[in-house]
Amino acid sequence: MAIAETEMVAQTELLDVRQMARFVTDGFIEFDDLVPDELSEAIHADELASVGQDSPIPEVRWHITDNPHGFYERSAAVRAVHNLPRVKAVLQSLLGPGHVASHSALHCTGPRKDTAQMWHVDAGGRRQVRLPGVHPWSFDILTAYFAHDTPHEMGPTLVLPGSHMRSVLGPDAARYKNIAGQKRLSGKAGRIAFMHEALWHCAQTNETDQWRFMFKIRYNPRVPQRGLFNTDGWDSEEIRRFFRMNKGAHDLTGESSAVAQERADWWRYLCGADELVDPSGTGAHGDYA
Amino acid sequence: MAPVRQQILILHLQSGDLGSQTVAWALYDGAMAADAVQMQTGSEYEPPYDSVLAAMRDGWRVFQASPLPERSAATGTGQLANEFWLERNVNVEG
Repeated sequence: MAIAETEMVAQTELLDVRQMARFVTDGFIEFDDLVPDELSEAIHADELASVGQDSPIPEVRWHITDNPHGFYERSAAVRAVHNLPRVKAVLQSLLGPGHVASHSALHCTGPRKDTAQMWHVDAGGRRQVRLPGVHPWSFDILTAYFAHDTPHEMGPTLVLPGSHMRSVLGPDAARYKNIAGQKRLSGKAGRIAFMHEALWHCAQTNETDQWRFMFKIRYNPRVPQRGLFNTDGWDSEEIRRFFRMNKGAHDLTGESSAVAQERADWWRYLCGADELVDPSGTGAHGDYA
Repeated sequence: MAPVRQQILILHLQSGDLGSQTVAWALYDGAMAADAVQMQTGSEYEPPYDSVLAAMRDGWRVFQASPLPERSAATGTGQLANEFWLERNVNVEG
């Protein structure tokens, strides 16, 4: 059953322009301080109860199509986390009111697992391939929540910052193995990341003797994603400077100019501004690119 | 004569210059047993060679290069450009 979020959240809790500019640049934003420790501990206990000797119990297996929210339904604590006011404020900043949870999954990786997932984007990642009527800047959000400490050697999800601007479909990125700038979402218990649907990512090996868990929800927007966060200062010198300084961020093989212009267009759309009129006729995107 | 197996090294460089910096790499090793673990995603944070030229100096042979990228607003950005395939043959236990 889809979960519709209809409550409004306080303007002061919404993401600000610095946070949103970072999301636009990196394709994800992560937080260490949104979830109280006692909730994370309760969820970790629920997670440990969801695995047998060497595999998850059937009730939480993500691929059971008639049970798309298995762990979500089993764990009151994990539901509480995703209904925390600050978590909802981040979701509302990115997706707007009325967003819907399409599905969720508890990812369980056993001790000493020596093979990793291939680089991939989840279904629908290619932004150019869209159903008729879907706005080109529409995006889903994937949350990745870690209830326990996930040091590097435990292999939390690997992401490629900035890859959300690349158009690839599903496993098209599987040929690659290691890419400059790749980053594991390592951190303390309670870390939660909010990822753009097109961000390249993959589960990693686990060099420890403990199970590794990551709980994911995919959320769909139900409104145009414009002006949904705290847009105060969207056109300030500080923000212009941020984009200038990050023009080359995540450039790997010479894409920075094209990506910077796309970022500028997306930023104006996100902030509810009109499309940039370029009086010079040169196609320049001003200070943002 | 000992059997020979192929190793494939795929390097992506910052530019089309074969001496430019490696930004992505993958090794597919035909000499490894079927149950051995090939290179995995996220397994390394430093490339095995700084460039294609550096790999050539170590005995790798380039046998394919990607076409020069055609860039336009219509195509946007997608896969990594400047892809080079290199091979090396190694002897294995008969």
